[in-house]
Amino acid sequence: MATDRRAFLTGVGTIGIATTAGCVGGFGEEGNGEDGGNESQGGSGNESGNDSDNGDGGGSANVGMVYATGGLGDNSFNDMAQQGLLDAEEEFGVSYSEAEPESNGEFEGAQRDFAEGDYDLVSCIGFAQEEALTSNASEYGDQNFMIVDAEVDADNVRSYVFGEPEGSFQVGHLAGLLTDMEFEAGAGSTNPEESVVGFVGGVESPLIESFQAGFEAGVDHADTGAEVVSSYVGEFNDTAGGQETARSMFEGQGADIVYHAAGATGVGVFQAAQDQGRFAIGVDADQSVTESDYADVILASMVKRVDSAVYTAIESVVDDAFAGGETEVLGLEQDGVEAVYGQEIGGEIPDEVVEAVDSSRQAIIDGEIEVPDTLE
Amino acid sequence: MSDLLSRRSAAVALAVLAAVTIAAGLVFPDSWVGTVLSVLASPGTHTAMLRLAVPIALAAIGGIFAEKSGVINIGLEGLLIVSAFSAILVTFRLGAGESTALLSNHWWGFAVGVIVSTLFALLFAAVCIEFEADQIIAGLAVWLIALGLAPFASRIVFDSPNTGNVGTFDAVTVPVLSEVPVLGYLLFDTGPDVYVMLIAAVAGWYLLARTRFGRWVEASGENPKALDTAGVDVRKVRYAAVLLSGIFAGLGGAGFALGQLGTFAGGGETDIGGRGFIAIATYLFANYHPIGALAGSFLFAGLDAVQIRLQTYGYAVPTELIRTIPYVTVIAVLVLFGKTRLPEAAGEPYDPDED
Repeated sequence: MATDRRAFLTGVGTIGIATTAGCVGGFGEEGNGEDGGNESQGGSGNESGNDSDNGDGGGSANVGMVYATGGLGDNSFNDMAQQGLLDAEEEFGVSYSEAEPESNGEFEGAQRDFAEGDYDLVSCIGFAQEEALTSNASEYGDQNFMIVDAEVDADNVRSYVFGEPEGSFQVGHLAGLLTDMEFEAGAGSTNPEESVVGFVGGVESPLIESFQAGFEAGVDHADTGAEVVSSYVGEFNDTAGGQETARSMFEGQGADIVYHAAGATGVGVFQAAQDQGRFAIGVDADQSVTESDYADVILASMVKRVDSAVYTAIESVVDDAFAGGETEVLGLEQDGVEAVYGQEIGGEIPDEVVEAVDSSRQAIIDGEIEVPDTLE
Repeated sequence: MSDLLSRRSAAVALAVLAAVTIAAGLVFPDSWVGTVLSVLASPGTHTAMLRLAVPIALAAIGGIFAEKSGVINIGLEGLLIVSAFSAILVTFRLGAGESTALLSNHWWGFAVGVIVSTLFALLFAAVCIEFEADQIIAGLAVWLIALGLAPFASRIVFDSPNTGNVGTFDAVTVPVLSEVPVLGYLLFDTGPDVYVMLIAAVAGWYLLARTRFGRWVEASGENPKALDTAGVDVRKVRYAAVLLSGIFAGLGGAGFALGQLGTFAGGGETDIGGRGFIAIATYLFANYHPIGALAGSFLFAGLDAVQIRLQTYGYAVPTELIRTIPYVTVIAVLVLFGKTRLPEAAGEPYDPDED
């Protein structure tokens, strides 16, 4: 038995070291190594041949992107950020390089690679980069940085945070109003016997709980006496868990609309909705487009305009008007978050519901409604 | 003897506790006990249990064959991942909802998933049996390779770690019989993946306990020298047993992918999410009995289905704690009833020249 255990430990150790070594080495191409030197300079992307010149007012810029773990192709967060970059490329002809770190430990190195190189702006996507950027921002005081979803207090960093609770409030209001009606569209219909809506979260964290808090407040605001059932799957990639959770809400509790903030786990929510002939609400991107197989049950999506944050930051660098040291809050008022109705069935939502949701949006912007961002 | 006695009294205490709980739940249906009971009794919980048990039960039965023959296969998780991914990929490529050569493309995907898993098992068998590599390290390697390979391939094909959606098998509804209370919705109105699991469990038991091959497998794990002396090639028996573990795990992975997921999420630990490791705990806990492994996977999947439902009732218990219910229960059951004995020669490569 003792030798078994030793063999096991040796095995885990060896493979662990090998894996770590693999990570450190990276793929080279995109320079996501911890100390990969200047690899990234020659990396992917330099599509427009324009030389970058920061002080040129209206001239083009060179942008370094550090994506959140999960990388491109996630159909939501990172892809949205890249969209902002591509829009800026089209509009201003900026050149860029991209890094897709695999783990939180690689952020610092990836940011440093860009800071050492000749970049006018380094974009850090995701709250997990906060700590790495805090130390890099002071070390590279002349480098302009931006960060999405976190606040870093430094003169050369512009922070962008979103009003997720406000956006979630909007879709919560929508769900609260609809669950009380008899409504049928696409492949779904509401449950006239019960007034229950659901929330499925990925992993418990202050950010995801702020989605839940906003959603619950929105349902409450609809004042239809609708009840919110909520649950966390514990994973962002557990499709089966998301499916069973949503199924139990639809079947067991009589819910008819479930909102998710759970990444790939949320695909399971859409599957369950389709299976049970109920509705779901997407998150981050317009999921009736990105997950078009489920467009017939997606009422709306709480869209976070990460693309516009990236775009405006690049724009400010191009215009030589980059203002560091500030935090920009992108809430409903700034169109940073919004409830986007589903492509396929969103048009069938009754006008009075759409109007009510619009008016609560205005009320939030005017400060008449306070949206909580934590669960009480 | 005293050990047996204390276990028996523990079991009796547990049964009394269960009876009291049920009585309390029936008397006060609005209390938390009543809620737990209603969750336990709801058909949704039962069908969820069957669906969630598929990958665990099948991987566990596969693991039994490998380990009984003396090769510890902790790469089951990797086999589940590759079979789930390739099943989805092939179904997607052929066109979901269409048929090729009179057979629905879902079944072609299913077959390819099983084949890919078997090929991975063959690789693992060669490394362990031919080259006498450490089985634990080789098993971990299978898992890590699968964990990297599936999302990588997915990126090439789908430009994303998550694949497209192919939908799932249609449920098989047996007329008349599906109207029978309880058994009807459990056994006669369910997905083909569930039937595969039930049939495979019985077939696995028969093969292991009632055939000559089953006795060879047992001997190869307990006393390979004796088997060799009797004129049976230990190498061949072990190869066959490891390949069988690949087939069973492949049935589980492909069945789970096409019966429940309909898509493959390759981020993080993928949407298999450690079910292969649960399978290892399950067969150890069933003491290498295929039917016992099926029951064990029902226990685990059933508790998972229960915790999912309990969370939504909004008790003040943190959801992280509710999620640990299946794991805590399995440990409790292991302590009370587990008596696992590893095969004598498990983990050791067989060298015929050694005395």
